Amino acid sequence: MVIFSMKKIIFGTILISFFLSCVNQSKKSNEVNLYSQRHYNVDKIQYKNFEELTGIKVNVIKANADELIERMKNEGKNSPADLFITVDVGKLFQASEMGLLQKITIPSLNERVSEDLMDKNGFWVPITYRSRIIVYSNKRVDVSELSTYEDLANEKWRGRILVRSSSNAYNQALMSSMVANLGIEATTKWSESIVKNFARDPKGSDRDQVKAIAAGQGDIAIVNSYYIGLLLSSEKEEELNAGNAISVFFPNQSKGQRGSHINVSGVGLAKNSPNKENAIKLINYLISEEAQKNYVSNSYEYSVNPSIKPDKIVQKWGEFKRDTLDLNLLGKYRQEAIRIFDKTGWK
Amino acid sequence: MEIIKSLLKSQNRKGVILISFLTLVLLLPIIFLLGRIFEFNNENFFYLWDNLLIDYSKNTFYLVIITAIFSLLFAVFPAWLISTSSFYGRKFYDIVLYLPLAIPSYIMAFTYSDILSYTGPMQTFLRNNYPQISNFFNKDYLQIEVLGIIMALSLFPYIYTVSRVSFSLLGSNYIDVAKNLGLSSFQTFYKIILPLSRPAIFSGLFLVLMEVLNEYGAVKYFGINTFTTGIFRAWFSMNDVNTATQLSIILLIVVFAVFFIERFLNSKYRYNYKINNNIQNLVKSGFYKTITSNIICGIPFVFGFLFPLIFILNNAISTYQKIDISNLFLLSKNTVLVALLTAISVIIFAFFVEFIRKISKGKAYGYINQLISLGYALPGAVIGMGLILLFTKINSLFIGISLIGSLFVLIYAYVIRFMAVGKSPISSSFDRHPETYDQTAKNLGAGTFKLFQKLHLPINKFALMVAFILTFIDVMKELPITLILRPFNFDTLATQTYEYAIEEMIPRSSVYSLLIIVIGSILLILLKKTISKSWPN
Repeated sequence: MVIFSMKKIIFGTILISFFLSCVNQSKKSNEVNLYSQRHYNVDKIQYKNFEELTGIKVNVIKANADELIERMKNEGKNSPADLFITVDVGKLFQASEMGLLQKITIPSLNERVSEDLMDKNGFWVPITYRSRIIVYSNKRVDVSELSTYEDLANEKWRGRILVRSSSNAYNQALMSSMVANLGIEATTKWSESIVKNFARDPKGSDRDQVKAIAAGQGDIAIVNSYYIGLLLSSEKEEELNAGNAISVFFPNQSKGQRGSHINVSGVGLAKNSPNKENAIKLINYLISEEAQKNYVSNSYEYSVNPSIKPDKIVQKWGEFKRDTLDLNLLGKYRQEAIRIFDKTGWK
Repeated sequence: MEIIKSLLKSQNRKGVILISFLTLVLLLPIIFLLGRIFEFNNENFFYLWDNLLIDYSKNTFYLVIITAIFSLLFAVFPAWLISTSSFYGRKFYDIVLYLPLAIPSYIMAFTYSDILSYTGPMQTFLRNNYPQISNFFNKDYLQIEVLGIIMALSLFPYIYTVSRVSFSLLGSNYIDVAKNLGLSSFQTFYKIILPLSRPAIFSGLFLVLMEVLNEYGAVKYFGINTFTTGIFRAWFSMNDVNTATQLSIILLIVVFAVFFIERFLNSKYRYNYKINNNIQNLVKSGFYKTITSNIICGIPFVFGFLFPLIFILNNAISTYQKIDISNLFLLSKNTVLVALLTAISVIIFAFFVEFIRKISKGKAYGYINQLISLGYALPGAVIGMGLILLFTKINSLFIGISLIGSLFVLIYAYVIRFMAVGKSPISSSFDRHPETYDQTAKNLGAGTFKLFQKLHLPINKFALMVAFILTFIDVMKELPITLILRPFNFDTLATQTYEYAIEEMIPRSSVYSLLIIVIGSILLILLKKTISKSWPN
């Protein structure tokens, strides 16, 4: 009997602790709640610094942007979310279109953030940006062969181009920018030709494309700038060797050309933000010089503040002209971009 | 209708009400998903249907076939050798062949793609030492066939476990008779043992199949578009949650059609052999058989566990300065907490349902049983969405209490997803015990509660252990549900592993995956001990 009552006690304790753990919805006033797609180490550092500076507790849920959007949409008025943070401007645009965000007014924002990176409608604020660039084999490609994204459709690249799949948001944003700049018809033709030039079916991560160049499976790859920074700071000697076998090229730089495609990681203020004041404070912090320097040196992204230089590794690639297209168009033309991928067989 | 009639005829009214209520609770989120079927977006649905789904379905079919063939190879032959013959190394393999289950399949896929890649250890070694042959191995390994084999390596223990038990249970009678009839040992295996074990093997294969269908991370990385890719294409790329839901329900229907067809075809094989208590004598092996046995059992162990483990361990050691111990401890605590709460809930729930089924009889419980397992056939993210829909509704009815983002909802989701995993050992344990036990107990005057406490709890305790361990390990490895439903600031070992892995920082992720593997391995060794206790040999 003693054993039985012991069991009861243990069982009871478990049950009680279970229910107690469920009631964790207590409302603390001095906090800010983030629904974030960013999950880098640098983010932890930023939030910790912010907490120490202001005493405001930062709560984070990290998941895929679409899942977070779905969660916010369903939670509606009761959503605890204050800020929605993504690594793709397309998702910020989508959230604003769905009425999940409210306009943000931050005084003297344009003193700290380049104007072309800002949202014309005022729903989101950029915190960093990345460029989708071309990397090429030092052995098999001469830099004079490279020029623009459009040129990747040229027959001279037959069987030489590496890129990841069209499920990837960065590729989708690139295709959207092509649609915005060239129109659907020209972009479809471009995609058809570039698919013919693929060295293999799209697969793997950005880093894998670089490895594939080192392995001789292809000669050039379309990748995100910050992955190259990460690769070049790898702990593994072999990966560093792979990174050193390639060079970086920014497309569309000549006079009269639009510049390289970029995408921002940004933050939007939730429509029903319960801690609006704290949320604005955090946005202000994230675009402060201190925070911007942290981003630059930890995750090899570019600062939205024109006065802050990129990390040393990134600086070596030189400065570049960026495409100043209205970034919301990267979200607006997303559906067209997806259909072009599917229609032209970009897996 | 048939179900309702048969439920009404049942002897145990209270039990019926209770079991129906519990089933409803478990199915509620899925019912909410079904509601979305009617919000039909013709354009997107037929767009996907016309452009992608045929191709995606072909890939899915091919991947499932490859994984099925290899996981059968990795599971059935070792299980047969270990169950029937004695050879040097047998005891060792008998323990370690369960271990690959501790490695989540997405980690297995990431690990192998790293091992095989141009900058990985295999090719680097060849380049530095045998440059003349290194070119031959310099290939693109991100292929559907490679993925199928990798998935098989991480999933075969599902089949191994059930085959091992089934082969042991058959005992020596059948083998003796076969020998007397002059069949060779291969013929015995092929003509007698395999057909008799078919239901067991299929139940394992079915779990493997559902895992493959639900896999998203690994297939995406390998650039292989499966049906699940289609579901997420609709959701993530086309922003159309309804179409995504409809596609997952189609998947659900297909899975269950396969399941019921198999049930129908195999019904004549089911439970009609005599369980043998004569423990069979293990056949002693000579030199050559010992070697072949070691190869057959060694391959799945070495490739399914040892290699990935060494690689991950090596990575973890090389990044040890960057490990945040207090964070590691916190994540382990979170992981164990949710796994523990889920495993306890699942075994209580499953035991209860099985107990009522046992004492009430009636065909309807068979159907209900299958309904409860529905969650396993749905991708985790879709279950997550079902719960968000359900709790949004609850929230709008009872204003002010938003449970989304609480541990309760997270565990609720896990229970729905893993009920099938926990229920199946409990279910088969109940099936094995004859009706006469209940009759005798009742004749001795035992009431329902006594029956529960004095009879069924003790005689099924090993099955409960098995169910607990399997569920625990699965929750520990779970990713999509955790990502979408977790509370603020809540990370687990699996989510941290994933966050590093998708940022292409595999070495940094290693210590977290290593911990999943270590905890899982300890539990699996415990599982093996439990199985040995309940089925000697």
